[in-house]
Amino acid sequence: MLHLLELLGSSALATTLASTDAALASAPAAGGGVIAAPMWASLIVALPLLGAVLSTLMAVMGVRTKLPALMTVGLLAASFVTTLALFLQLQGGPAAGLKLYDWISLSWGSGAGQTFTASFGFDFDHLTLLWMLFVTGLSAIIALYASEYMSHDVGPGYCRFFFAFNLFVFSMACLVMGDNLLLLFLGWEGVGLCSYLLIGYFYRKPAAVAAAKKAFIVNRIGDLGLLLGILSTFAVFGTIEYTKIFAIIESGVLPNGQKLAEHWANWVIPALLTCGAFGKSAQLFFYVWLPDAMEGPTPVSALIHAATMVTAGVFLIARMYPLFVSDPHLIVLSVVAWAGAITAIWAATIEMAIFDIKRVMGYSTISQLGFMFAGLGILSPVGASFHTFTHAFFKATLFLGVGAVMHGFGGQLDLRRLSGVAWMRGFGLVGIAMLIGSINLSGVPFTAGYFSKDIILADAFALPHGQIWGSTAVAWILLITAGMTAYYTFRTYFRVYAGPKEFVPGDDAELLELGRHPKGVSIEEWHKQHGHGHGHGHSHGHGHGHDHGHGHDHGHGADKTATQRVDFDPTTEEFDPHPPGAAMKIAIAVAMVLAIAAASLYFIGPKGGWVAGMIAQSSAALPESVATHAGGDHAHGTFFGFDPHKVMYYVSAIVGFIGILIAAVLHGPRGWQGLFVGSRTQAEKSRADAFVTLFGPITTAARNKWYVDEIYDWTIRTPLLVLGHILHFADKLGVDGLVNLAGQIPRGLGRAFQTGQRGVLNGYALSMAAGIAVLAMIALLAST
Amino acid sequence: MNLLSIAPTLAQGPMPTEMGGATLFHYLLVSAIMFGLGLIGFVTRRNLIIMFLCTELMFQAAGIALIAFSRFHLNHTGETFVIFVLTVAAAEAALALALVVLLFRRKETLDASSWQDLKG
Amino acid sequence: MIEKIFTLWPEITLFVFTCVVMILGLSRSLSVRRLCAPLSAAALAIAGVLALTTTPDAKGALPHLPLFVKVLTCAVGLVLLLQLAGTADRGYETRVARGEAFDPLRSTRAEFYAFFLFSLTGLMLCGNASDLIWLFLALELTSLPTYVMVAISADRNSAKEAAVKYFFLGALGAATFLYGFALIYGGTGTTDLQGIHAALSQQMATGGINSIAMAGLVLSVIGIAFKIAAVPMHFYTPDVYQGSSSGVASMLAFVPKTAGFVALILVLATVGWVSTSPATHGQLPEPLHSLLWIMAALTMTVGNVLAVMQNSIKRMLGYSSVAHSGYMLVALLAGPGPEGASLTRNGLSAVLFYLIVYAVANLGCFAVLGCLEKTSSDGKSEEIDHIDDIRGLISTRPLLAWVMAVCSLSLLGLPPLLGFMGKLPIFSTGLAAGEIVLVVILGLNSAIAAYYYIRIAKNAILEQSPVRPAGEEIRDAAVPARQFAGIIAGLGTVVLAIIPISSLAIDGGTFRHSRSGVTNSPAQTLPAPVGSAEPATADAPTGPVADATVPPTIAR
Repeated sequence: MLHLLELLGSSALATTLASTDAALASAPAAGGGVIAAPMWASLIVALPLLGAVLSTLMAVMGVRTKLPALMTVGLLAASFVTTLALFLQLQGGPAAGLKLYDWISLSWGSGAGQTFTASFGFDFDHLTLLWMLFVTGLSAIIALYASEYMSHDVGPGYCRFFFAFNLFVFSMACLVMGDNLLLLFLGWEGVGLCSYLLIGYFYRKPAAVAAAKKAFIVNRIGDLGLLLGILSTFAVFGTIEYTKIFAIIESGVLPNGQKLAEHWANWVIPALLTCGAFGKSAQLFFYVWLPDAMEGPTPVSALIHAATMVTAGVFLIARMYPLFVSDPHLIVLSVVAWAGAITAIWAATIEMAIFDIKRVMGYSTISQLGFMFAGLGILSPVGASFHTFTHAFFKATLFLGVGAVMHGFGGQLDLRRLSGVAWMRGFGLVGIAMLIGSINLSGVPFTAGYFSKDIILADAFALPHGQIWGSTAVAWILLITAGMTAYYTFRTYFRVYAGPKEFVPGDDAELLELGRHPKGVSIEEWHKQHGHGHGHGHSHGHGHGHDHGHGHDHGHGADKTATQRVDFDPTTEEFDPHPPGAAMKIAIAVAMVLAIAAASLYFIGPKGGWVAGMIAQSSAALPESVATHAGGDHAHGTFFGFDPHKVMYYVSAIVGFIGILIAAVLHGPRGWQGLFVGSRTQAEKSRADAFVTLFGPITTAARNKWYVDEIYDWTIRTPLLVLGHILHFADKLGVDGLVNLAGQIPRGLGRAFQTGQRGVLNGYALSMAAGIAVLAMIALLAST
Repeated sequence: MNLLSIAPTLAQGPMPTEMGGATLFHYLLVSAIMFGLGLIGFVTRRNLIIMFLCTELMFQAAGIALIAFSRFHLNHTGETFVIFVLTVAAAEAALALALVVLLFRRKETLDASSWQDLKG
Repeated sequence: MIEKIFTLWPEITLFVFTCVVMILGLSRSLSVRRLCAPLSAAALAIAGVLALTTTPDAKGALPHLPLFVKVLTCAVGLVLLLQLAGTADRGYETRVARGEAFDPLRSTRAEFYAFFLFSLTGLMLCGNASDLIWLFLALELTSLPTYVMVAISADRNSAKEAAVKYFFLGALGAATFLYGFALIYGGTGTTDLQGIHAALSQQMATGGINSIAMAGLVLSVIGIAFKIAAVPMHFYTPDVYQGSSSGVASMLAFVPKTAGFVALILVLATVGWVSTSPATHGQLPEPLHSLLWIMAALTMTVGNVLAVMQNSIKRMLGYSSVAHSGYMLVALLAGPGPEGASLTRNGLSAVLFYLIVYAVANLGCFAVLGCLEKTSSDGKSEEIDHIDDIRGLISTRPLLAWVMAVCSLSLLGLPPLLGFMGKLPIFSTGLAAGEIVLVVILGLNSAIAAYYYIRIAKNAILEQSPVRPAGEEIRDAAVPARQFAGIIAGLGTVVLAIIPISSLAIDGGTFRHSRSGVTNSPAQTLPAPVGSAEPATADAPTGPVADATVPPTIAR
């Protein structure tokens, strides 16, 4: 039987049993010895993959029930439980490895650096476990949410959705758990592909297709950097396995004998990897794809474009942190810090002006990612990781809440056309969830978001001068951004969830198709009244305009087809908001509870909380040399003479409250007997409108995202187009001729050879006989 | 038996005198000529049956070479081989005739050049 | 002798089932006749299990080759069976269903399945061959049934034309390698492959290979080139692929080709890739080296440039089959490489692995063609073939369109598909053997090949479906099994690229000898089985003698 295994080699079991120990024993330890992880740990990856396969099968078999969703929820929950079990087993111990099989093994010589191996294997250190816990946990919750959210599409589309969903979790797990950079790259491309598929899920809508394309193309630029980074890593280190790379970094001497501290690799490779990270995490000018990615279904936005995939860039830098800090000047980390800070404040300005609540969340994600990058840059991997972790939960909560609103109001996303949602029947939980998410995002004291943001801010202020270039300025930018965050978060909250109950349903594609319009106002009229159409955000086609009898029934897939197309009479019929059902409510509630509970992590474990303990045991921990530098009392940075770590609790709380207060004044509803300072009585009017006229072009510019897309068009696309035309012309003149000539050679040869293929048996025989004779002759000549 | 006892001395030498003046070379020459004739016939003739007979000629050329070598090396391997070659040749002959009949039914001709629709 | 029989259980099983199938297929009862295909599948499954469980013939030249060939044959055979379903007797059975009396003499179902199994048996026996006589019989057993299968695969005249061309040229090829075998026997005095190896090594140590033996080797290689469709024996390929039904064509691209390459490996291994030391890359003796070099270069080029000219997909795939043989010849020329070489430096492993890669992707392409039908000019229903027939397939049958695209891009060798994983070792072994010029030709050919493979993929998934006049629509062939074959192949090209393929191919590193020393005894040059570095557990089969001394073949 072993023979079978030997021959086919595909049995992961045999290979793993035999090779895990050997492979890992020989690998230098990263954090004090690497042990073998249990075999069942591979279930974390295998279950989502199984889910993808089963979804495909269900699509083939034409399953028209919610089975794919139930299966996905079950498998992902099992995957999460496995992760949790693995975490409990490995907690506090050294990193564990699990090598399934050799994936690629190429050699073109016997010398050093002439063999390229990449295994399909995993490293479970505490950084990986931290990431996997929220990736698998949130994906299970959001799958549950999506089971209902996507129910209008039960059938092949439903299977397609859950296929991509499972494939995403599988790819993300490969990205995070892989023990080498190539597996990370595989996962990186895999999540990119799934993101593309899911953004373009509503492929009949041109905006969705364009957004998918944009995301794909922008990410390719970053991926090029990542790929080059991986290649140069192999060129310099002779390996792409983390444990080996880290061992080399620790020794400080490269395989070619040079010192890493004096080698270009210590800043070039980080720079290339950072390029990849910026692309995936939408930092600096790469951010343009993420807001458009909101065209995808909301569960996708919540999971992929808020909680998990976009943090892959943070993970990449945290994973390769030893290399980043091996540069004595920390150049790339300074760039990362500044890029993060600039992105954070840049996105915040846009958010303050736009009206599409889903895009507000999108920009807010970019802004928060900026915080994480800044955290990495100012030597606070703990802060960055903790913020990633807390952000995943509270941002998912916010997105799920926004999704519930979209789901309920025919795709309406404009905050001027929605008000008092929290008071509407069935939306109470959504309102609470949004409040929880908002206070986390704003940094209200004792929430998870408050603690994680504090660590970054305090560490930024505490950094001694000169270690990271301009770290104090970064810290101030972040502090200001924190205030702006509080403002825009509560602007949305106050306008959409609080205040008088009022709404205009969205111009859902299906409503238009059915000839049904919202109460009393046709879409066209509405647009006329309000100057411009918002033209986005109706990414979710749900037929609520019909069949009021069914109330909260969720069998739309079935009854949609059965419904007769009755002419809609706007004067008698009403649009009925459609509150979320049980599955969505459970998912929202769980995400909400987790977002609250995440705060407690700050109090368990060593100083800095549970995440600090996790990071300290992973490769992302600051090495002694840098850490003493950073933590030494003599050169400790201060906040007006105070210790930033102590005073920042108060400062950031105050800043947050100021932001909320402004939001309340400008957008808060009148109500609660003057408890609220706000005065808004209508959905679309607020005191902030005065500022719009006051600042005039500035708000318009911010609302138009600072015209970045237009600037891109002018600075990049148009010149490229012009260049393209010029080149095309030159091409036609000269190059085309050459290419055509080159293309003609095979055809010419083909025509020559074709004369031998005239279809006559004897002709073939003659050619064969001649061939035999000629070849025999050649062999004869060669032998003499 | 007598032959086997003197095998070591004969193994690489000329043919035994009982075979007349013919040496291995002569047998190989005949075999090569047969092979060549078969090949030429196959290329030049258009009649499917004649063409098939030409391939038979080539098979038997190999058979002659095998027997000559067998005699030369003083073992029976070559002769054994020939038995199998004959068997295969018989199988091929059966196949060839069946095929030719099938083709004849379609076009009422045995001319190989009448089948040239597939080309290019 | 009797021990040898025990290694042949899979072949014996197939043979027994073949006889049963041949009889059952003539039954007057439709339900009994219908048992042919399931029984064939059962035979292959049982044979596969037997192949895995019976102790391999560790005494052979390449102890793991038989097992590899048998398992591969059974696995691919099962998918081929899915694809061949509904090929034989479809028209006849409908007439019978309409009330015509069943005439066993006019039914071809029995021999179709029986000959399919016979051919696979021959292929398995090829892997087991330890003697030239055996090898000759195995090759003929592989080929003879396929001649008949081509003839009965379709009712149209082109199938008969394909059969006659295939058969007559095949006989010419068989005569050529038979003559070669005869000369090898003449030059060495034995037909036993290890005996030939010993004799040739002796000759090399004492003044060079006997010219009769060398002529025999050259003629054998050229003759076997017919089976793999290499220049100058390739002329039949496009005609036969185009003339036969797609299932049979995809079988032709796998069964005889695999048999041919296995035979080439066995024959060339008798002379061996000579190197000065175990650590350097060996090379074939000069005449064989130049012969294979020219054949490889011409085969790739002729196949690709002629494929560019085609509009018939089957014909294109026929020429592509020629081209792929050329690629594999490059790796064959490179030889097993230094001792302990992994897949990327061991040409023989690369060839064997590429056979899988090619079989899977090619099968997918042909399966898609087999799934679709249109009405031909004479009013009969026939498989689609023209490149325009698959235009816009994505809009009507997305799954098939994707299978077609993925498989043709895999044939092109586009990363990250299986084809890329297969082509990589071919390139790297060529480079490792120092065949720079040949590798450059290989690269140029891959570029030419991109033209027609991308054309297929583009037609299938990027083009708009043209408006076809009434009566010329593309219909589904009523054989769902073929769709399954296509899906399996399509998935295979994706999935096999991720699972551990590098350890899938067996080690071909045998018969290396050093020029300085006298022959290594075969026992010492036996290759290590894949994964032999792993400690053998208690139930490990009696592995080759050299297990302990030869380093592992795959890098860990």
